[in-house]
Amino acid sequence: MTDAPAIVAEHLSRRFGALWAVRDVSLTVQRGEIFGVLGPNGAGKSTTIRMLCGILDPSGGKGTVVGFDVATQSERIKQNIGYMTQRFSLYEDLTVAENLRFYASIYGVSARERKQRIEEVLAASGLLQRRDQLAGTLSGGWKQRVALASSTIHRPPLLFLDEPTAGVDPVSRRQFWDQIHVIAAQGTTVLVTTHYMDEAERCHRLAFIFRGELLATGTPVEIVERRNLQVFEIETDDSIATAEALRKLPEVEEVNYFGHVTRVCLRATNDLEASLRAALERAQLHVTRCDRIRPSVEDAFVSMVREDEALRAKPKVAA
Amino acid sequence: MTRLLAVAWKELVQLRRDRMTFGMMVGIPIMQLLLFGYAINTDVRHMPSVVYDQDRSAESRDLVQRLIVTGFYDVVGHVEDYEQISRAMREGRAHVAVVIPPRFGEALRSGKTAKAQLVVDGSDPQTVASATNTAVSLAAARSIELSAQRLATRGQPPLMQPVALEPTTWYNPELKTAIYVVPGLVGVILTMTMIMFTAMAIVRERERGTLEQLIVSPVGRFELVVGKILPYIAIGYIQMSLILLVGRLIFQVPLQGSLALLYALASAFIAANLALGLFFSTIAKTQQQAMQMSFFFLLPNILLSGFMFPYEGMPRFAQLLATVLPLTHFLRVVRGITLKGATFMEVQAEFTPLLIILAVLLVLTSTRFSKKLG
Repeated sequence: MTDAPAIVAEHLSRRFGALWAVRDVSLTVQRGEIFGVLGPNGAGKSTTIRMLCGILDPSGGKGTVVGFDVATQSERIKQNIGYMTQRFSLYEDLTVAENLRFYASIYGVSARERKQRIEEVLAASGLLQRRDQLAGTLSGGWKQRVALASSTIHRPPLLFLDEPTAGVDPVSRRQFWDQIHVIAAQGTTVLVTTHYMDEAERCHRLAFIFRGELLATGTPVEIVERRNLQVFEIETDDSIATAEALRKLPEVEEVNYFGHVTRVCLRATNDLEASLRAALERAQLHVTRCDRIRPSVEDAFVSMVREDEALRAKPKVAA
Repeated sequence: MTRLLAVAWKELVQLRRDRMTFGMMVGIPIMQLLLFGYAINTDVRHMPSVVYDQDRSAESRDLVQRLIVTGFYDVVGHVEDYEQISRAMREGRAHVAVVIPPRFGEALRSGKTAKAQLVVDGSDPQTVASATNTAVSLAAARSIELSAQRLATRGQPPLMQPVALEPTTWYNPELKTAIYVVPGLVGVILTMTMIMFTAMAIVRERERGTLEQLIVSPVGRFELVVGKILPYIAIGYIQMSLILLVGRLIFQVPLQGSLALLYALASAFIAANLALGLFFSTIAKTQQQAMQMSFFFLLPNILLSGFMFPYEGMPRFAQLLATVLPLTHFLRVVRGITLKGATFMEVQAEFTPLLIILAVLLVLTSTRFSKKLG
């Protein structure tokens, strides 16, 4: 196929009654990239995915997925995508191999190819020993592997993962992300939703969704840089007093405690280390450490959400 | 086709693993068959009765004896007044009381009309008819007998009986309830399992989130629905065969008509119930709701379809309601074929409404069952 984007969404919206679950979301996902959709629970991530898969009609806007229109060609889309939901929708009373066999047949993997393909994904996800185990008796991490194997059994050019790692232990989560990178390297486009910020950093590009609206898109680095954030880790003899002193600074967005360390996030274009130190001295605090560290995607996200909430909180001026 | 078979195969594997459901599918028909076959008996016999004999003559004792011999009345005691009768009825010791007034024997001997009274407990209407009818026909027969005797003693020739009505019951001459109930049970069991299991099978997938997984797959609506219900159709036929077989072995329920015809016509009935089950599945959010809806639907079926109570005895509006139920029509078809040996042309009048109901249900269900969310 050509280099046309895997997903193009233009002003996609969906309303449930009076509530806009998704409003005016536009985004483009290039082939072969891992695209993360980030947002808190209830932000509209799943609704967006469902519209892109063609199982939920948009109330407004339009979208094309692997070249097909989401509103009118949903059945064509379904043949070209893999989809893994939040709750690992496996048949718990079927074995691992039976689940794979079922999804292979459903997705039209030919009978000849099926056996070989099942062996392939079993081997790739380390499931060979558990092939005859009932899916319901697997632990969360293993279930997730089976679910991923099921949704990629037909080698879809595009894979949707809707909060695939919710409730999975950290080790399994890392392994899972390694697996996603392997899949993407083989040419599959991956659209993944998550509310884990550490996972967001592992995506090629991101979209932030909050209250159904798109707040930002770009690579993790771009998104963080655009916010002009400065983060410092400070150690003093009194962390409570430190936080109090820091909060008085107008540029401070947030102050958090991490054990003995006080972490402060500021938004400004000029270097604020000197004014920070001055503020702490004024409060007569003894600073043992003050390091500037790299802001994370989480910092950027929290900063954007705060700004958004502050705007909403302002009384509305008559339009 | 591959997809349809894949869905059916998956459903069968799941069914095999679900021992409880599988056991129920075989267990329910057998249990109900035995329950209904043995327990339900509208033919009331051996009613506990008390006797209030104020006459204490040979004639009064003779009357009581004749009543006992019919087998309908079991004398459980003698009482001395009406108060004791009503106490016996309140306590449930007796449902019938035979009251013989003083000078009953004397009246008989002198050729007058001897009066006796039968008191029946009306709190259970089913028993009233049996209790009264037996005694009334006994009295009538005895009267004719005695009149003949009186004429004979006077040297007159015996009278010819003016009207002789000989009741003959066809298709179930011994009036065995089992024979009436078992073919009907085929319909009741099919209604219950087909609706409940299909409704639950779909709702279960929704509850566990696998339906969403199927909806995003290329599997078509038709493939999904037909694939899912195919195994249940097979189960329906297995249940039906089981009931007919056990009914024949234990209750000697005959099969007069064509088994092939019965199986062929049952397909429309099964399909109607499956469509209804699917319809319920589009409304119910949880398996529990699906189950409750199935039971809610089952009750009017059992009461109104003619399975337990005769259709003819119901008021007009109840009859109208019954006409809409697939079971009402299927009952007549199945009884017609098994008990009366009816042919297709003879049951066609009941089969046509069944097809109409099926068509309506199919339209209703397919408009509601959508492969989209929300």
